[in-house]
Amino acid sequence: MLGLDQFIAELNKSISMFLPETALVIAFLVALLLDLMFKKSKNLTGYTALIGFLVTGYFLFKQMNMQSTAFSNMFVIDQFGIFMKWVILLSSIGVVLISFFTNELYEKAKGVGEYFTLIIGMAFGMFLLVGSSNLIIIYLAIETMSLSSYVLAGYTKEVKRASEASLKYVIFGAVSSGIMIYGISILFGLTGSLNLFEINRFLAANPVNNFALFLSVIMILSGFGYKISAVPFHFWTPDVYEGAPVPITAYLSVASKAAGFAILLRFFKVTFLDSVPGNDSVWTLLGSIDWHFVIAILAVLSMTLGNLVALWQTNVKRILAYSSIAHAGYMLMAVSTMDDAGVASVLIYFFMYMVMNLGAFYVVALIANNIGSEEIDDYNGLGYRAPILGICMTLFLISLTGLPPTAGFIGKLYVFSAVVKAGYIWLAVVGVINSVISLFYYVKIFRNMYLNDVDSNKSKLTYSPASIVLLFVFAIPTLYLGIFFNDIVKWASYSANIFMGK
Amino acid sequence: MDLVGLAFYFLAALIVISAAIVVFSKNIMYSAFSLMFTFFGVAGLYVLLNADFLAVTQIMVYIGGILVLIIFGVMLTTRITGVDVKSNSLGKIQVGIAGLLSTIIAISLIVVFSSTKWFLSEPKVSGDSTKLIGNELLTNYLLAFEAASVLLLIAIIGAAFIARRK
Amino acid sequence: MTLEYIPLVFMLVFGFGIATVFMYLSEILGAKRSTKEKNTTYESGMTPFKTARDRFSVKFYLVAMLFLVFDIEIVFMYPWAVQFKQLGSTGFIAMMLFIVLLLSGYIYVIKKGALKWD
Repeated sequence: MLGLDQFIAELNKSISMFLPETALVIAFLVALLLDLMFKKSKNLTGYTALIGFLVTGYFLFKQMNMQSTAFSNMFVIDQFGIFMKWVILLSSIGVVLISFFTNELYEKAKGVGEYFTLIIGMAFGMFLLVGSSNLIIIYLAIETMSLSSYVLAGYTKEVKRASEASLKYVIFGAVSSGIMIYGISILFGLTGSLNLFEINRFLAANPVNNFALFLSVIMILSGFGYKISAVPFHFWTPDVYEGAPVPITAYLSVASKAAGFAILLRFFKVTFLDSVPGNDSVWTLLGSIDWHFVIAILAVLSMTLGNLVALWQTNVKRILAYSSIAHAGYMLMAVSTMDDAGVASVLIYFFMYMVMNLGAFYVVALIANNIGSEEIDDYNGLGYRAPILGICMTLFLISLTGLPPTAGFIGKLYVFSAVVKAGYIWLAVVGVINSVISLFYYVKIFRNMYLNDVDSNKSKLTYSPASIVLLFVFAIPTLYLGIFFNDIVKWASYSANIFMGK
Repeated sequence: MDLVGLAFYFLAALIVISAAIVVFSKNIMYSAFSLMFTFFGVAGLYVLLNADFLAVTQIMVYIGGILVLIIFGVMLTTRITGVDVKSNSLGKIQVGIAGLLSTIIAISLIVVFSSTKWFLSEPKVSGDSTKLIGNELLTNYLLAFEAASVLLLIAIIGAAFIARRK
Repeated sequence: MTLEYIPLVFMLVFGFGIATVFMYLSEILGAKRSTKEKNTTYESGMTPFKTARDRFSVKFYLVAMLFLVFDIEIVFMYPWAVQFKQLGSTGFIAMMLFIVLLLSGYIYVIKKGALKWD
C-alpha cells in the first residue's frame, strides 16, 4: 500500500549517508548522559565532544566523493556540502579547544556540562542545514542551531550582559524565523512543493507571479541573512558578540555563518538554476528577477555599514563583531556573481576566515583571562606585556584586513577576482574601498598594543604553555595558507559544484 | 453564501478583531487573553480546510500550552499590583516608523494575495487526515520527524538550563 | 465533511451562550446589598495578609515550558499510533528513536532537579 519495502531499501541507503550527523547526535546524547553521571569531572563533556567530532570527521572523510540525495530528497550529500561541513567541524573542534582555555566559562558559570553538549547540538543543526534541500528541514535545522546558540550566548548567566545578549538574540531570532516561515509558506503556495528540486522544476515549467516570488524569497532571505549577520538583519550581532562568552562569539562568527552561507548558495542555485543551457559553471537563473543585484545590494550594505560603524567602537569584541558583518559583505559579493567561481571563492574565503577569526578571538580570550576586559583602552601596551599574544594578534589583524602574506589576502584575492571576472567592477571597487576603511580600526587595536603606554611597568601577562601551542595552531596556518594555498584552492574549486538532484 | 462561506467570514472576523485587540490593547493581560480567540479562529480555519488533525493540534499546543506560557510570562515578569502592565511606552517617531513599515508590508501582502495565481493541488481523498499525516511523517518526512526530536531535546535542555536557579 | 462539524459548532455556541447568559442574568436579577463585611475576601474566614496578585515564581514557567515540549511530543505520537499497523517495524523503530531522544531529555530534567520545587 505504501510501497514500504522500496522505502525501507531507500532508507537503509539514506542512513548510511547520514553517518556524520548520526555520530553527532550520538555524541550529543552520550555527552548529556555522562554529564549527569559524573557531576564532578570538569571537562568530561568537552572531551566527549572532541571524540564525537573526530568520529564525525572520520565518517565525513569516507564520504569525500559521494554525491547523492537521501531521505526522499530531503537531504543532499555533495562536495560543496562536505567542504562546508569540514569548515564547521574544524571550527567546532577549535571552539571546544578555545573553551578549555577560557577562564570566564569556568568562573562565571556553574559547570560547563551543558556547554559542550549544546555545542555538539549546534554542530548537528549546522550539518543538517548545510545538506538540506527541503524547506521544512531548512527551518528545523535553523531552529536547532538557533536554540542551542541562544542558550550558549547566555551561558554565563551571572554576567548581566550575557543574559542581555541571549535575550536579544532570542527576540531577533524569533522575529526573523517567523518572517522566514511566512516566506516559505508563500513559496509553497506558489509552487506547491517544499522540495527545492521540485520547486526548481515547477519554476522552469510554469510562470509565476514575480512580485509574490520576490516577496517570498526576500522573506526567506531574512532567515538566512540573520544567520550570516548581513545588513539589514544584523541588529543582534554587536550586542550578542559582546555579551556572549568569547568562544561562542567565535563560533557564531565562523561556523554559524558558514552554515548560513552554505544554505544561501544552495537555495539560490537549486531553486533558480535554469538547467536548459547546460553550462553549470555560470548559472543561468530562472525568471526575470535580478537576484545578482539583490545580493549585491546586501553585500554593499553589509560591507559599508560594518566597516564604518566599527570605526567608532571601543570594545574589541564589538570591533570584531562589526568586522564579521563586513566580512559577510565581502562573501556576499562573491555570492552575487552566482557562478561556480564565486562559490569556490566563498569556500576559500571561509577556510581562511575560520583560521584567522578563531585565532583573533582566541587572543581576545587569553587577554581577557588576564586583564578581565575587552575594552580597547585596556589593551594599551599589551604588545610588551605579552609579546607572543601581541605578535599573533597583529598577524590575525593583518590577515583580517587582507594584506599579504597572510591567509586573508588569498581569500580576498579570490573573492575579488571572481567578482571582476563576472563583470561587477563597481562592486569590486566598493569592496576595495571598504578593505581600506577596515585597515583603520584594525590598526587601532595594533596601535594600542604597541604604541600606547610603551614604558608601562605593569606586570607581564601569564599564560600556560599549552595555550600558546593552541595559539600557534591558529597562527601558523594563517601564515602558511597565505603562501601555500594551492591545495585549498584546488579542493574548493573541486567542491564548488552544488548538486542539482537526479 | 453557503454555510462554509459564512463560517469562514465569521472566523476571519474573529481572528482579525481579536488579533487587533492583541496589538492595540493597553493592558498586556487583555492582549494575552485575546490571543486565545485568535488561536481558536485559526483552529476553525483548519477545520474548514479539512485539516482536522491540525485543528486539534492547534488547540492542544497553542491554547493548551503556548497561551498558558505567555500568561505565565506576563505574570512573572512585571509587578502586577500597583503598576498597570502596559504596552504603550513607545515614542511618536517609533510608532510612526513602525506604522509606515506595517502599512507597506500589509499593502504588498494584499497585492500578492489578490493578484497571484496560487498553486492549487487536487483535493486529496477527504477523510482521516491523521492517517495521511502518519504515513507521510514516518516515511517521506522521516528526517524531519527525527530532527524535530533533536530540536525538542535541545529545547528541553535549554529551558531547564536557563530557568534553573543554580 | 465540513458538515460533520455542525454539532461541534452547536456545542460551542450553546456553551458560550449559556455561560454568558447565566453570568449576566445573575448580575441583573441577583440581589445586591453591599456591606463592608460582604466585601472582604473571605467573609467569615481569615483576614488576607497580602495581595493575591503577586509575582509568579519562575518555576511555574519552567513546568509550563516542559509541559509544552512533551505536549508536542504527544502530538507527534498520534498519527503514528493511528497508522501503527501499516507502518510496521520501521515506523516502530523510528518512533522509538524519537521517544528515546525525548526520554533522555526527561532524565536530564529529573536529574538536574529542574522539577524539584525547592
